[in-house]
Amino acid sequence: MNIATAGHVSLEQAKSLVEFLENDQQDKADALIAEINTPNNSELFAEIGKLTRQLHDSLNNFQLDSRLNDLAKADIPDAKERLNYVITRTEEAANKTMDVVESIFPVIDDLSEQVQNVAPSWDKLMNNKIELPEFKELCVDIDTLLTTTGKETQHIHGLMTDVLMAQDFQDLTGQVIRKVIDLVHEVEESLITILTACGISAEQPNGEKSVSPKVGDNLVEGPIVNTENRNDVVEDQDDVDDLLSSLGF
Amino acid sequence: MKVLVVDDFSTMRRIVKNLLRDLGFTNIQEADDGSTALPMLQGGDFDFVVTDWNMPGMQGIDLLKAIRADSSLAHIPVLLITAEAKKEQIIMAAQAGVNGYIVKPFTAGTLKTKIDKIFERLA
Repeated sequence: MNIATAGHVSLEQAKSLVEFLENDQQDKADALIAEINTPNNSELFAEIGKLTRQLHDSLNNFQLDSRLNDLAKADIPDAKERLNYVITRTEEAANKTMDVVESIFPVIDDLSEQVQNVAPSWDKLMNNKIELPEFKELCVDIDTLLTTTGKETQHIHGLMTDVLMAQDFQDLTGQVIRKVIDLVHEVEESLITILTACGISAEQPNGEKSVSPKVGDNLVEGPIVNTENRNDVVEDQDDVDDLLSSLGF
Repeated sequence: MKVLVVDDFSTMRRIVKNLLRDLGFTNIQEADDGSTALPMLQGGDFDFVVTDWNMPGMQGIDLLKAIRADSSLAHIPVLLITAEAKKEQIIMAAQAGVNGYIVKPFTAGTLKTKIDKIFERLA
């Protein structure tokens, strides 16, 4: 519709006015006069109203997201600390376990060597082919072996308990990681709220698959945790071997 | 035989060292990334390199390329032990001249098989 400017009557409007008056339509004539005096800006007003409402809602949303401020200033640094704790605890556990295992290796090797040393004489004894001096010597060796075995198995048992206790990290790190997952979820929700407030759709364009995670130089990505949903990765060593042999390596 | 184990995680270096020792390798040295490993290789008479891929500083794949590009080191067999599992990366490593590719998590048995195969081929 034509928006007439106040004070400027168009020929069309003048003709209509005359027509209304001639037909004794005083109401319509008055309305037309009013329209000529006050240009009809109702569409423009409606548009401004809509924009004002949107602006108001957006500002409200940002106020609601003052939680974002806490997330950025407190929760996320706290989560970083928590994840560092996980690294420390798991590293400690791995080292504690390896300390014990490495201390057991030589003990087992020593026992195994002693067993190998008595084996030939023992075989002779079992086949009734042993001479008295060798028998006496064997008795001494077996005695030493029994004493060492008794002592070392008890020692190893204690060390195995240390290995067992080193696994207690799993409970603690599990709790910490679960808390960080909750935080990541909350951040995700807040980001979606912001995107929505800014009028950006958080949904992927229809039909498109979800975006792949960011990779570094040489495509480095670290361990793949969802191999079943990916077709660009191998699942296990057999897949690696098959791929390499298919390439002629 | 002198072996260089390259990984940024000391626990993984320790695991690999223990496994290698079980396989009869006693002369083992360590580096925590490619840029520390390369000068060690250039300075010493290493016979075998076992390396991770994803490390800060110089990555394992770049170390492999540097080894192949250096005529005094090019002959050294390189085994990658890595969590990197993209087919494209495995092909990249093969083209760069890797001698073996083990994907983490791995077993002592896998390590033995791959090492046996590497030295069988070189023999």
